[in-house]
Amino acid sequence: MNPIALSWRLLFRQSRAGALWLLLAGLIIATGALTAVGLFTDRVGRALERQASETLAADLVISSRTPPSDQWITKAQSMNLETAKLVVISSAVFLEDRSQLIDIKAVSEDYPLRGTLGVKRDLADDETRLATGPSRGQGWLEPRGLNALGLSLGERLDIGRATLNIEQALTYEPDAGGSQFMVAPRLLMRLEDLESSGLLGPGARTRYRLLVAGEEDQVLAFKQWAEDNAELGQRVITPAEGEAQTAEALTQARRFLGVAALTTVILAAVAILLSALRFARSQRDLVALLKTFGASSRLILMALSALLAWLILLAVVAGGLLGLVTQEILAGVLANVGGTALPSPTATPWLSAAFLTALLAVGFALPPLIGLRQVTPIRILNRSLDRAHPMSLGLWAVLLLTGLGVPALELGDLKLAGIVLGGAAGLAMVLALMAWLCMHITHALSNLARASWRFGLAGLYRRRSAGIIQITALGLGLMALLLLLVVRGELITQWQATLPEDAPNHFVVNVQPNQRDSVYRGLIEAGADNLQMGPMASVRLTAINGEPPPSDRFTGQVNISWVSADSIDQLPPANRITEGRYFTENSVAEVSLANRWAGRVGVGLGDVLVFESGARTFQATVTSLREVEWNSFNINFFILLTPDAGEALPHQHIASFYWPDDDASALKPFSQNHPNVSILDVGALIERVFNIIASVSRAAEVVFVLTLLAGLVVLLAALEATRDERRHESALIRAMGAPKDMVRRGILIEYGIMALIGGSLASAGAGITGHYLASSLFGFSYQPSLGLFAGGLLAAYILIVGAGWLGNRSVLNTPPMRILRGS
Amino acid sequence: MNSIISPTSDCILSCQHVGFRVAAPDGELTILDDISFDLKSGETLAIVGASGSGKTTLLGLLAGLDRPTSGEIFLTGQALSQLDEDRRAELRQNNVGFVFQSFHLLPTLSALENVLLALEIANHPSPKSRAKETLEMVGLSHRLSHYPRQLSGGEQQRVAIARAFANEPAILFADEPTGNLDRKTGDGIANLLFDLNQQINTALVLVTHDPSLAERCQTTHTIDGGQLVQ
Repeated sequence: MNPIALSWRLLFRQSRAGALWLLLAGLIIATGALTAVGLFTDRVGRALERQASETLAADLVISSRTPPSDQWITKAQSMNLETAKLVVISSAVFLEDRSQLIDIKAVSEDYPLRGTLGVKRDLADDETRLATGPSRGQGWLEPRGLNALGLSLGERLDIGRATLNIEQALTYEPDAGGSQFMVAPRLLMRLEDLESSGLLGPGARTRYRLLVAGEEDQVLAFKQWAEDNAELGQRVITPAEGEAQTAEALTQARRFLGVAALTTVILAAVAILLSALRFARSQRDLVALLKTFGASSRLILMALSALLAWLILLAVVAGGLLGLVTQEILAGVLANVGGTALPSPTATPWLSAAFLTALLAVGFALPPLIGLRQVTPIRILNRSLDRAHPMSLGLWAVLLLTGLGVPALELGDLKLAGIVLGGAAGLAMVLALMAWLCMHITHALSNLARASWRFGLAGLYRRRSAGIIQITALGLGLMALLLLLVVRGELITQWQATLPEDAPNHFVVNVQPNQRDSVYRGLIEAGADNLQMGPMASVRLTAINGEPPPSDRFTGQVNISWVSADSIDQLPPANRITEGRYFTENSVAEVSLANRWAGRVGVGLGDVLVFESGARTFQATVTSLREVEWNSFNINFFILLTPDAGEALPHQHIASFYWPDDDASALKPFSQNHPNVSILDVGALIERVFNIIASVSRAAEVVFVLTLLAGLVVLLAALEATRDERRHESALIRAMGAPKDMVRRGILIEYGIMALIGGSLASAGAGITGHYLASSLFGFSYQPSLGLFAGGLLAAYILIVGAGWLGNRSVLNTPPMRILRGS
Repeated sequence: MNSIISPTSDCILSCQHVGFRVAAPDGELTILDDISFDLKSGETLAIVGASGSGKTTLLGLLAGLDRPTSGEIFLTGQALSQLDEDRRAELRQNNVGFVFQSFHLLPTLSALENVLLALEIANHPSPKSRAKETLEMVGLSHRLSHYPRQLSGGEQQRVAIARAFANEPAILFADEPTGNLDRKTGDGIANLLFDLNQQINTALVLVTHDPSLAERCQTTHTIDGGQLVQ
């Protein structure tokens, strides 16, 4: 007989078999949950990326020291992408007898491609948001530039050979990024005007940016092309590499969404494992019978494999639809992400969920099905003569590694996947080992116990292989739920706490050394909260261990700071030393670097860096690396020097503070007393980061509820696995005259022991995995609490004993004869 | 060593010096020891003996469901020990029918589907009409779409008999075919078995505790302690 035809017959004729439905249900739940969570987290992630695109004013930026060639623009346009160009150059401008260094940003007509610009027609007016930049012949200058030059709006300013009409004050640029501490004020003008100004001559220190935006897949394709064709000095920048605070928030967001997706993978794997094993077990009699009729092992194996393939196909379609509908409901709950509507779902998460389901199904179901080849037909006459053959561990290992390796690779964060999936795999092994030990210990003790205990403990031992799988599955399912609870309850709360209510939302720049004390007092008197102040100098890195540094935007002009001599050994807030040791009282010519900068430039502990500031050069040795919480919005610097190296440099001071009020008019007297000092409002930046955190927090809540529901189904399925056998045994001993109480206690003891092992180990697994996630990935500290342990144990007890009790209650209320006849 | 010789052409089943041993916690356990007999086409044979004497194990070995640890069994002239499991399955597919004490009907298949499955495995040219025809022969034409749990014990065994005879096997093995049935129903089933044996000229090997059933067979072998005593 043709194996495909036999598989069809088995599929249709077994449609009344519980095990087949259970396998199908397991596969559908797995695909549904994977699709729903995959689609949902993908949509949230893309919405966040889109929001973060504002930090570049585009979806992608090509940065270079030379003008981008026409080839790049033609290529982008041929892919239906929008483009804009901008050039950044520093230049001194003159107005009558005054001169001022300004930071010119010259843009093409289409700038910005993402986000808006903030301007004021009158400094006393409210900010207006505009989607386009200045017209030709116009310039928008930052208020501090107007102050420094004593210029009024509407007046004219000469830029090289060009003359601009300064029509508006520039108050917000979406892509200001790390330039918020710019020493020179910003002038926004048109590229055509800059070209006619003659400033772009040879030797000018210019930076060119090609801005690109459009449909996601096109942007991705262009990014690939750009990376392949990038020349020396050209760099492709994505939103994730843009402005530090948003980039960090986005990275954390991706990790949180990744944990949520991986817990679903664990639950899906458990659901498939349980249903596949039960299905394989249920097929032993059928296989023996088919062999008795004369079916060959090959025919049976091929037919069962084809049957599995049909089931996977059915599950992929049905589960995919279920997942699509579910994620639409989830998306409805989280209507938009910080004002950005969720982008439409794409087929990729569904396809990857389908692929993963197929892999997990093959990984978990095929080995036991292959094992069925070994079923001897003599089993049909006498089950005791059916020699059980161990399943090929090697085959399991290969398939499982593939099944778990795929989501890890897909996530693109091997460390995160390693911690979550590794934690789950480790827990599975410990659970299985502990369950095995417990079975044997309780078996040895059962002889000393009273009848109901003996019945309960003997039940555990009799079903030990099923019981070990059951406890492992229950523990893993619980661990996935508890881990999500830890992430949602502890880690996201800590993340939210990194952006406290009084996070500095204003920066003060251009404070001269002799103004330091008066500015400090003035701000305190005006009502500024959480005020921090520090020195800042602009330097260039000229050598690393005597060699010139690599060409990188990070090695150009960079702002540095230093600590004061009386608090040299005190690490600034929101910093954490990851390598080396921080400054001591005797430290001289030392430098502490932020990991982000050190990684980009390629320097480490012990390297000697040479900096240049005007005519002055100095060197310092790297003695520590720091992890900086940029989200704290405190004043933070990539490069922190010991005071001996910094104090002699020409410098200014900068300050940050929290201003609780939207109305900044109370700061006016301060501004009038310090006309050269500029106050920058970074509220928009904080709001963007806050939105990302809030969105991920809500998304995690939504995913938690879905995972909880899927998890409950999986846990109940795990308990169902041995219910029939338990019902039969209970009926048997009742028929022999055992009182109901004894049966009841026996069931409660058996389930209670499962809850104890599963619950306690799952809590420990979730706590340990959460701890590693917190310290290795998120940069938080999380110590598993006794509450988690007690809560996990209580939840396990309620779930397992409760469900077990409900499932077996009918045993006590049904005449034993009916159960025995039925079985 | 006992000599093994090829059986004559009219011999459907030849059992020569068959032994079967299994590993036990305290050494090897002998289930069957030096069993020999022949059976010709269309003949009937009863194997009787006390519980645990090894008669069901012998039946399984005769049908090629497992291999003896010593000796040889020839089924339709083929030495079973020289065939791997798949070749033995192929041999059963075309020549052997089974009836079990506990019926072994698939609970999720209807009466018709249970018979159909065996015919489909045997690649019968028109399995559905043949399945209906055989169920009619056992008096169950009105129960085609019933599931095993909707049938009485006697009816279930009749479905099993229909399944066994559907492919007109050369030999039929029956393990306690009336063991789970009352006397009256059991008699009906026995009549059916012997009627079909006559109609189709199928050789019949019965394992039974029931002396009256054994008496209806042309030959009776008694097993005691794993050995043929008569």
